[in-house]
Amino acid sequence: MDIARFRKHSVAVLAAGVLLAGCSASRPAATSGTSMPTASMSVTAPSAPVSGDQVSIDGFAFVPATLKIKAGTTVVWTNRDEEPHTVAASDGSFHSPGMGTGATFSHTFPAAGTFDYVCSIHPMMHGSVVVTA
Amino acid sequence: MTLPSVLIRIGFATSLAASAICHAYLYVHGYQHIPSIGTAFLVQASVSFAIAALILVGGPGWLGWVGAATASGSLVAFALSRTVGVFGFSERGWDPSPYAAVSVGAEAVTVLLWAAVAARSFGLPRWPRAQGWPQKARRQTTSA
Amino acid sequence: MNPDGMSRRQLLRHTAWFGAAVGFAVAGGEVISHIAGAEAAEHAHAKPTLRFAQVSDSHIGFTGAPNPDVAGTFGHAIEQINNLGYTPDFVIHTGDLTHLSSPEQFDHVKQMMTGLKTPHVFTVPGEHDSVDDAGQKYRQAFGAGSVGDGWYSFDISGVHVIALVNTLNLRKLGHLGADQLAFVEKDVARLSSDTPIIVFSHIPLFAMYPQWGWGTDDATQALGYLRRFSSVTCLNGHVHQLFSKTEGNVTFYSGTTTAYPLPHPGDGPAPKPVTLPAGKLHDALGIREVSYTTGETTLALKEQRLQ
Repeated sequence: MDIARFRKHSVAVLAAGVLLAGCSASRPAATSGTSMPTASMSVTAPSAPVSGDQVSIDGFAFVPATLKIKAGTTVVWTNRDEEPHTVAASDGSFHSPGMGTGATFSHTFPAAGTFDYVCSIHPMMHGSVVVTA
Repeated sequence: MTLPSVLIRIGFATSLAASAICHAYLYVHGYQHIPSIGTAFLVQASVSFAIAALILVGGPGWLGWVGAATASGSLVAFALSRTVGVFGFSERGWDPSPYAAVSVGAEAVTVLLWAAVAARSFGLPRWPRAQGWPQKARRQTTSA
Repeated sequence: MNPDGMSRRQLLRHTAWFGAAVGFAVAGGEVISHIAGAEAAEHAHAKPTLRFAQVSDSHIGFTGAPNPDVAGTFGHAIEQINNLGYTPDFVIHTGDLTHLSSPEQFDHVKQMMTGLKTPHVFTVPGEHDSVDDAGQKYRQAFGAGSVGDGWYSFDISGVHVIALVNTLNLRKLGHLGADQLAFVEKDVARLSSDTPIIVFSHIPLFAMYPQWGWGTDDATQALGYLRRFSSVTCLNGHVHQLFSKTEGNVTFYSGTTTAYPLPHPGDGPAPKPVTLPAGKLHDALGIREVSYTTGETTLALKEQRLQ
């Protein structure tokens, strides 16, 4: 009996301890039943395969994240998100105005090199253009 | 009541009360304003005081388990607050000193006492007693 | 009868002890709260030394399903501040006043804020306020009295307030920059360590969720200059939800928006505006009252949802 009851009690205490630890580790923010955002109202369909010099801004990401082009090519960014975005080069060589849904921005790359850029509003969005001679 | 069981009860009550006093003091002096942690301190202090009092006046063995659970929960929360944070709260080192250290020490004593009592009830030589823990174990040996 | 089970008398006995435990715990809780309340009341039986309101992320210019009328909800918030039952010593807008930094949006929000019944209105810019010009239009509209990219500090009722700009030159997170850090270091050097400090910024100064840029890469240095102070409170916007965190002597409080909610950290792939079911929007929006009483190290906050 000793062992059985001891085990039973141990399980109860352990369960309580785990519950406590689990509660502590979880986030305190209350859930308010947030639903996923509604589909974008823009007319264009979700990004079709991008051609050589196009970058889509979709779902808070640059698609493709790395674009390879030849020097002298003009790259066109199109914002397909509801939220505004920008295209801002890390070395400052180009900085788009704020782009609303459907807006485009283009920039010509005359010289070879790798050009990293971010969205200045949402800087966790990264992209780069690799220009070959 | 035998001396060992009385001493054990006093030990539990003292350690639980010490932890409760630390948490209650901190609650009154500022921690009441901290989201979630304030409430948690209040609950810890009131439950610990209650269990301490009842163990002292001769309550059943499971009170010791509740006391140990409260103490170990406090220790877990303390560890979390020094590492990953608990409910968005974190502190460094042994702040606020000396209350943090006293409380951790008291809670450790509670858990150790519980472990000793539980180990004894599990099979280590029992002390003869008429009352006190772990008297539940006794009944089994008398059944056929 | 099962010899392993307990008799009815024993069940009653255990129930009685359990009831006593609960009763004592509740009673003990009441006593401790009462003492705590008396302690707090002792410090606060007079009017609080400083009372102000925080409003944030109005995003004037935004239209969409999450909120088709951000100007309306912002106007509502202003009305609520004007009806608090007292005149706040100042109102702070913690950024993203406009949605796209256009001149019309700056004019609109500036005009709306003249309706606030308070002696001072302070602002810090959000990244939506400097979309294409590194904050030039923001500073033209709201930068009076600020230095550098728009930061400043002031003293009020014995409290030292610092307003920081961490929404320019962003790499992945918020960024303060060397000039601004030097400003903070010099600014607090002359203060005694028991001066309460309040810091406003748009992006959180703590790592709330770095994957979405919800943090500031060089905030640790700024907070280092504040480590010796007994009371430091940081209020921010940007995340469009209430959140708080205490780290040692610093407590961070994120405020909610008057425009549209964003997901909780990690709840989805990106911080996109969330469309709530009809009638639920006002639950996610709101304003915040903050008060400070001399002698307390923590500020008292009261969140108010949009009515």
